[in-house]
This record gives sequence, structure tokens and C-alpha cells, in this order.
Amino acid sequence: MKFKIKRETLLKPLQFVIGVVERRQTLPVLSNLLLQADTGKISLTSTDLEVELVANFDLDVQDGGEITIPARKFLDICKALPDDSELNIGFKNERVQVRSGKSRFTLATLPAAEFPLIEDIKVQMEFSVPQRQLKKLIERTHFAMAQQDVRYYLNGLLFEIKAGQLRTVATDGHRLAICEVDADITSDDHHQVIVPRKGIQELARLLEDSDEKALIQLGSNHIRIQLPDLRFTSKLIDGKFPDYNKVLPKASDKFIHAGRDTLKQALVRTSILSNEKYRGVRLTLDKQSLSIQAHNPEQEEAEEELEIDYQGEPIEIGFNVNYLLDALNAIPEEKVTISLSDSNSSCLIEPAESKDSRYVVMPMRL
Amino acid sequence: MIIHLDMDAFFASVELRERPELAGLPVVVGGSASGRGVVAAASYEARRYGVVSAMPVASAIRLCPDLVCLPVNMTLYVSVSKQIHEIFYRYTPEIEPLSLDEAFLDVSASEKLFGPAAEIAKQIKSDIKNECQLIVSAGVAPNKFVAKIASDIDKPDGFVVIEPGTVQDFLDPLPIKRIWGVGKKTEQLLQQAGMETIYDVRNKNPDWLIQRFGKLGDHIYRLANGQDKRAVISDAKAKSISAETTFASDVQDKDILLAMLSQLSEQVAVRLRDKDVKGKTVSIKIRFHDFKTITRSKTLSEITFNTTFIWNTVKELFLQVLKTGVRPIRLVGVSVSGFSAKENVQGDLFEQDVKQDKLDVLSDEINQRFGKSRIHRGRKLTK
Repeated sequence: MKFKIKRETLLKPLQFVIGVVERRQTLPVLSNLLLQADTGKISLTSTDLEVELVANFDLDVQDGGEITIPARKFLDICKALPDDSELNIGFKNERVQVRSGKSRFTLATLPAAEFPLIEDIKVQMEFSVPQRQLKKLIERTHFAMAQQDVRYYLNGLLFEIKAGQLRTVATDGHRLAICEVDADITSDDHHQVIVPRKGIQELARLLEDSDEKALIQLGSNHIRIQLPDLRFTSKLIDGKFPDYNKVLPKASDKFIHAGRDTLKQALVRTSILSNEKYRGVRLTLDKQSLSIQAHNPEQEEAEEELEIDYQGEPIEIGFNVNYLLDALNAIPEEKVTISLSDSNSSCLIEPAESKDSRYVVMPMRL
Repeated sequence: MIIHLDMDAFFASVELRERPELAGLPVVVGGSASGRGVVAAASYEARRYGVVSAMPVASAIRLCPDLVCLPVNMTLYVSVSKQIHEIFYRYTPEIEPLSLDEAFLDVSASEKLFGPAAEIAKQIKSDIKNECQLIVSAGVAPNKFVAKIASDIDKPDGFVVIEPGTVQDFLDPLPIKRIWGVGKKTEQLLQQAGMETIYDVRNKNPDWLIQRFGKLGDHIYRLANGQDKRAVISDAKAKSISAETTFASDVQDKDILLAMLSQLSEQVAVRLRDKDVKGKTVSIKIRFHDFKTITRSKTLSEITFNTTFIWNTVKELFLQVLKTGVRPIRLVGVSVSGFSAKENVQGDLFEQDVKQDKLDVLSDEINQRFGKSRIHRGRKLTK
């Protein structure tokens, strides 16, 4: 294997794939990345056995070959070399040599055959959506995923695929986030797959606000997403996502119409003096007014009064302020609608105009 | 003074009490004739055939073809155990339970009220016999180490009192393996150095022991001299609830290990619910054949006393340990810690978890009321 490459050409794909290389490895080869050089093409692959990332780019390759090299050290070397350096990469005596100007590095290798690749995912269905849409689906919902929950099927993001529509749902059992976009899906089948948290975090990092298509492929145990120069593959969580439709509030009779920023800022200020562990705030609603109160074990108190558009009955209800803020932060629109029924039932937060994302939050007993 | 109380063949004795028709037969609790379970307890009749607890049921049946195998009814044992603890509580609040059938009592402060420790132990033995129709072995001694040996040395129906002045006379002739922390390997090494009894260890230069075994050497020397400063830690002060089992012979079979861990998980969960506390951290303890001991824990996102949640976490932790290679295992344990008394104030979207908790409590109640394992989870010792 032998090729020459500009530092800048290498850096971006390297930074893309480095994400799944964990620092502590059970298998030594997992701290390496697979470097494959072919006629006119280089590909870099990393894996943690759950998520696999492949970056491809075109290059004039002198001699082809494949080998695995320590991922972080290789990235650190590339980062530390001066701008516009040219790297000469070659393989000799079981080692990879990187030369650039007056610098020379010799890296240990492991055979490419030892690198665990996710080969054929047995594609059962595929469709495309613009990258921008996929990015939106993730950004609007990912924060509600559970973390290390014993209900393992909550530690990921649900993708629900049906004719004409792609939807994502995340929940940790206390709050839930849904977002949907129109998609060019012709299949009449209804598919639900759960992508693990780790995979979603990586995917979020790779997606850009572009109209270029992302090809989504579903296998029986994997999801694969093809981007122009990148390929993302993740195992799926083998489990059944709870029936989220059942928990969408339907009996709401009290509606708050408010400006997102005004509400957000009032909540942020109040939250400073809420209990650090439980994060409770109390919302008291009356005709055209909302008061937000918080107090902590040190007996400190915060109170905010807001004039809002509210016509319903007076009500008092407690929430974890972080859940409200997470939802408000995910909504880009200016105006939001919050629907309530009583102090023991969940509330629904959604943008006032579009209904493409919805957030359900369970109250707290205060 | 400390009293160590150890119920004789507890699970098996409770079952025999419930089913008088089985009296005199060799009985074990745990697994079934066809299954690959582990003996959780063996009656003294069964022990005569060489059947011991933590032995695979299949081997037990080979030793004793007429063996009666009964399923484990943890809830029943927990309720009997609770009854026994109530008897202990009449004499002292300083109770440290080691498992359902074993506890240390510190009666130092009770002697003024109830008379000498030996009298208290005798009274407890007779209370348990009269009220529960069960036999307990008791050891009375100035510290935990000696009390535990004392309760064991005359089992079943043991009653041994070691007064402060006679500790050394009692310990000296005992074999070295009686010392806590002296396993097969240490025993061999000590024997190679010419030590057979506790007397021999006591007369050895402590520096030699420390040089040879480090911290363990110091520990061995102190115990051999009848010194054990550990206090009795009562449950109210306990920061975790745990259960563990040492196998009669090392086990490598994954299914048997999982079955035992499942049983221990349930035991811990039932005790948590009984005390109405929920914990956040689930831990397992594994001691390998070479005495290397590891613990692995996982902190959950919510406090729980839910059997399923605890068992799933235990299974996950254990399977992770197995990934590093399968070796014969001597002891497994489960514990839950990170208690929080505060009820979770955050509402739940999916009521099923809440329902599961209620179901667990309800099934505990049914089992308690009707004695036998009317309701239990699908996965048990049998597979």
C-alpha cells in the first residue's frame, strides 16, 4: 500500500469516523480503523460492533492494500501536522509509515482480516429523504431518549415508516417527543425500528443541512444510511417500543398560547432556585396570567408572572422544568401552544402553527 | 456478647413444616427432577446421602434417587424469616441479618434486662421452636467470628456458649480452615508451613504471616487470637440488601449460575419490598475458583424494588462478566443499594412499570397468605 494525500483531504473523513472509536476497548482491533486503498479510492472504517462508520473519498493511489492502524494516534498526527502538509503513507514490515516534510511516524498495525465488518445487512426496504429532513427528525426528538434504562427499548430512537411519512419518537417514560416529515415512501408496509442512542448521537454529528438525499436501508437487524461520502450502519434494538399513541393527551380542554422565548426565559430564571435533583416548578394558570414558582431545600424561592393568552379554568400543575425547556428548545417556531386537562395528566407542547413536532410531558406532584 | 443464629436447613425445614406428610423423607428445595437447578437447601435426611446445598439437583438425585425436590417458595421463606426476626427483636434491635436464615445479634445492652447472653440465646431458641416449629442453632461468644463458629460446630440444634475466658481453649484445636478468609489455597500454603490448627497459627510469628500473605496474614493472625472487632450492623443502618450463595463445588455451567442469580435477585427484591425501600444500584459479586473476587454494578435511572428490573440488570452484568471468559465459580451474590426513601414524584407516561410494582407486591401477598408458590415468575431454578 502506498499513496500521497493532502492533510486537509484526510482530516474531515477521519474526524467523521473517529466518533465510534471508544477509548477503552475489549478488543484491541476496535481501537484501530480499517484503511483500504484501492485504485482511485480510499475508504476509512471504524466500528464499536454496534455502529459502523465508513468514509470514502477519491484519491490517486499508487499501490492498493488494506490494513488497520491505531485510530486516535493517526488522527492526532494528522491534526498536529502543519496546514497544507502532504502525507506519504506506506506499509512495510507490518508497520505503517507516515512521512511528511521532516516528520516521520511508524505505526503498529493489525491485519485487516481481524477487523469486524458489518457485511450484508439483508436490505428489506429502502427509501430516500433529504439529509436536512433526517437531521430535523433527530434534532427535534433525540433529547427525550432514555439513558441506561432497564426498559432497554427506550434507550434509542424509534423510526416509524409508513407510506408517505417518516416519523421519529423518543421517550424516557416521563416525557415523549414526536416529529414527522413527508417522505417518498411507497411501500404500504408499516415498519418500526429502534436505533440505539449511541448510533443516533453519531448520526446527528454526520448530517448536514443539505438537500442531498440520504438513502435509508432497513435490514432485519440493522439500519444503514448512505450519505454522499459516508455510510452509517447501526444495529437495531431488538424490542417493542411502547404504544405511544395511547399516551398522547386527547382530553385537553385548557390551552395556553404563548411566545416561546418569553416562556423559555421565565422558566430558565425560575429554574435557578428549583430543587437541584427533582427540578420541580409550579405553574399556576388563571385568566390571561401564568405564574411560575420554584423553591429549593434551602427555602429559597423564585416567582415569575407572565401575561399570556389563556381562557380556561384556573389550574395548578407541577413539572420538571428541564422537560419543559428541552421541548421549548427543540421548537424553532416563535409561538407555542400548550394543552392541559388536569394537574395529574400529561400536557402537550407543540408549535402553534405547524404540528410536525409534538412533546408530551408528565406532571410532577409538588 | 454476640449471638449468631443459624436456622437448620431453613428452606427445607419450612417446607417440611408445611407438608408434614414428607417428614422423614430426604427433601431438597430447588429445581425439579428433570431440571438443571441447584439445591437451595437440603433436609438433614437428604444430607445423610451426601446432598448439600448449592449442588446441582441432577447430582443430588444421583446420590439419592428417592430425593423429593420441591420448588423454591421465596415469599414463604421471607415471611417466616420476618417472623423469626420479630422474635429476635424482642431481645435486641441490634440485628444484622446475613441472609434469610442467619443473623448476628449484639445483646450486650440487653443483658441487664433479659439476663446473660446465653439465657437470651436459649430463650430465642425456644421461642422459635414454639412459635415457628423450627430449629435454630445458636452460638454465643464475645465476637462475631467466634459466635459463628460456635453456632456451626454443634449443628443441628446447636447451642454453644464461649465465655470470654475460654475463647482460646475453644479455638486452639480447630483446623485452620475455620478461619474466615482461609480457603483451599491458603489452607494448603499454611499446611506446607507446618500449620494444621488455629493453635499452630497463633504461635507463628505474625511478621511471617504478614510477609507471606499481606493484609490477609494480619487478619488470619488476629482471628486465630480470637480478635474480631467488627460491629453488628443492624438492618436499619444497612446501606444495601444482599444475598449470596457459595456452591458446594465450583460451578461453570452458565444455566445453573443464571438460575442461582435469578433466585438471589428475587430474594433481594422480596426483601426490598418487605422493607418498602427502593434502591438505585444493582451489584453482583462473583468469586472464582481461585478466590479472585469481583463485583460489577450498574446504577439504574430510577430507584426500584421490581424483581424483573433487578433480575434483568443482574443478568446483563453477569453476561458481561462471562464475556471475559468462563471460569469455575465458587460464589455468586446479588445486592441492591442506593436507597432512597423519597417516593418518586415524577409522573409516568407508561403505567406498566407502576403496574409491575403493584403486581410484585400483590404476588408477594398471595404467596404469603397461601403458603406455597402459587404465583411465581416463569424463570425459576428449573429450566
